[in-house]
Amino acid sequence: MNKNILETIDQVSKSHPNAVAFDYLGIQNTYQELSTWSGRMATAIKHLNLNKDVPVMVYGGQTFDMLVSFLGVAKSGHAYIPVDAHSSQQRLASIIETANPGLIISIEPFPLETKVPLLRLKELHEIYITSSNDTKKEELALNDNFYILFTSGTTGKPKGVQITHQNLLSFVEWMTQSFNFNRQNVLLQPSFSFDLSVMAIYPTLVCGGTLKVLPKKITDNFMSMFTLLPKLALNSWISTPSLIDICLVDPNFTAEAFPQLDTFLFCGEELSHATAEKLKQRFPLAHVYNTYGPTETTVAVTSVEITTDILKKYSRLPIGYVKSDTSIVIESEHNEKGELIIVGPSVSKGYLNNPEKTTAAFIDLNGHRAYKSGDLGYYSDKLLFYSGRTDFQIKLNGYRIELEEINHYLSQLSLIKQGVVVPKYDNRGKVLQLIGIVSPKQSTDNTLAYTNQIKDALGKLVMPYMIPQRFSFRDKLPLSANGKIDVKTLITEVNGHD
Amino acid sequence: MNNTQKVLNILKELTGQDLSGQMDTNLYENSLLDSMATVQLVMELEEQFGISIPISEFNRSEWETPNKIISKVESLQ
Repeated sequence: MNKNILETIDQVSKSHPNAVAFDYLGIQNTYQELSTWSGRMATAIKHLNLNKDVPVMVYGGQTFDMLVSFLGVAKSGHAYIPVDAHSSQQRLASIIETANPGLIISIEPFPLETKVPLLRLKELHEIYITSSNDTKKEELALNDNFYILFTSGTTGKPKGVQITHQNLLSFVEWMTQSFNFNRQNVLLQPSFSFDLSVMAIYPTLVCGGTLKVLPKKITDNFMSMFTLLPKLALNSWISTPSLIDICLVDPNFTAEAFPQLDTFLFCGEELSHATAEKLKQRFPLAHVYNTYGPTETTVAVTSVEITTDILKKYSRLPIGYVKSDTSIVIESEHNEKGELIIVGPSVSKGYLNNPEKTTAAFIDLNGHRAYKSGDLGYYSDKLLFYSGRTDFQIKLNGYRIELEEINHYLSQLSLIKQGVVVPKYDNRGKVLQLIGIVSPKQSTDNTLAYTNQIKDALGKLVMPYMIPQRFSFRDKLPLSANGKIDVKTLITEVNGHD
Repeated sequence: MNNTQKVLNILKELTGQDLSGQMDTNLYENSLLDSMATVQLVMELEEQFGISIPISEFNRSEWETPNKIISKVESLQ
């Protein structure tokens, strides 16, 4: 492929104009539409004369207009910030404050009053038809930000990870060289504000494949999901392990029912041995890959095929071999188990307008930019293994969550005296749910109503997946020696063991 | 233990709530259950009632309140 992702996608459009790029519940859009509409949009954005380094927020669900907007913004020489329509108002306000976008493209109606100019869906559709397409190809340089993805931050302020064109190119070249994306039907399930979606989007588009969308409103109802899945004629599956766990509950989720499905890629949370083993039994000929990487190093940086040999050899699965242009150094006193430090061309330049957090996480390692992942791991047989976190970050259904961020907002609620959130694990060490442990301001008999009040209040401040599923009420929370809430004791209590 | 009590116990374990006074509460609209918890609900119901609930036929709207869960379970027994 060409050393420019946007040009490569336009070349696909020239050679296969009528190939389907995006299939959303049967509504199909072609490469020609993607290329032409995004080009016209880029021209329209350029006419706004935004400053060169000003990003553009793109707000909405999982539809084609979102994808057109991403490419249109990038073609205009700006970075896009994908923001999911389920985001809380507090989070939207916080992202606007940090990123200072020059424009918000609102595919869904924007719920906040803002001084930032809005480009609404209706205007977007007029641009598709009326605007001209005269962007120059070299608009987005390799060192420019391609997208900026906001993740959970410990103090309640989300951090904007800046991913450059070069970062993305390193990732996409590795993906397309390592896996077969050539004109394949690829599952697109995660929301666009989760970088697992990038694993499906760009490798598929540069190879002329079709993104088959499985939107949240379908996965929310199992019957709709299982009705739709076989109709997608998938070749490649990309998701979190949590989604495949749900699919595997259905005994009919087998190679016989999905004859073209031969590749599974997992990322976003730990792939358990039990899940991989069950999947290999159902799809004996398929290739199952485990991958790993923080958002700050562009989606993923390691991969390994989980073969029957690997299943036999290891009880906890490896996260893989490091991609060839990257290295992972283990920082520890004994050079065995320690923090994974990632060095290579897909390492982000840092958090947008946040020098403090950038300096804390990004370091210079022998003259190269490196990211301190906060993940612990070790090498065995040249394979990398994950063994936990250095902090209170967890993964729930693939979402990366800083428990301290939820605690920060929980403690601000006027309804409670003290509160803390604690993960409940299953017997394989995977987080099943979050439990809020709260000391109420006033005693109450109706705990359901009270719980709903807390959930509503918290829902205005954090993403829906950060709201604890359960709340438990106590007069007092245990304190540790230094006077802070003793989270470790609560984790032990909730999980019934150490 | 009767069916109602058994279902309420399963829901209490999953949601942390005693729902005996809220038999028509919508478990999804009130964010008491999500997809992963629903999978656990299905498995617990199958195990404790000895019934089979094909997940591919699990239509959320038929299972969204404690009362609806109980009547679905009884129709499958």
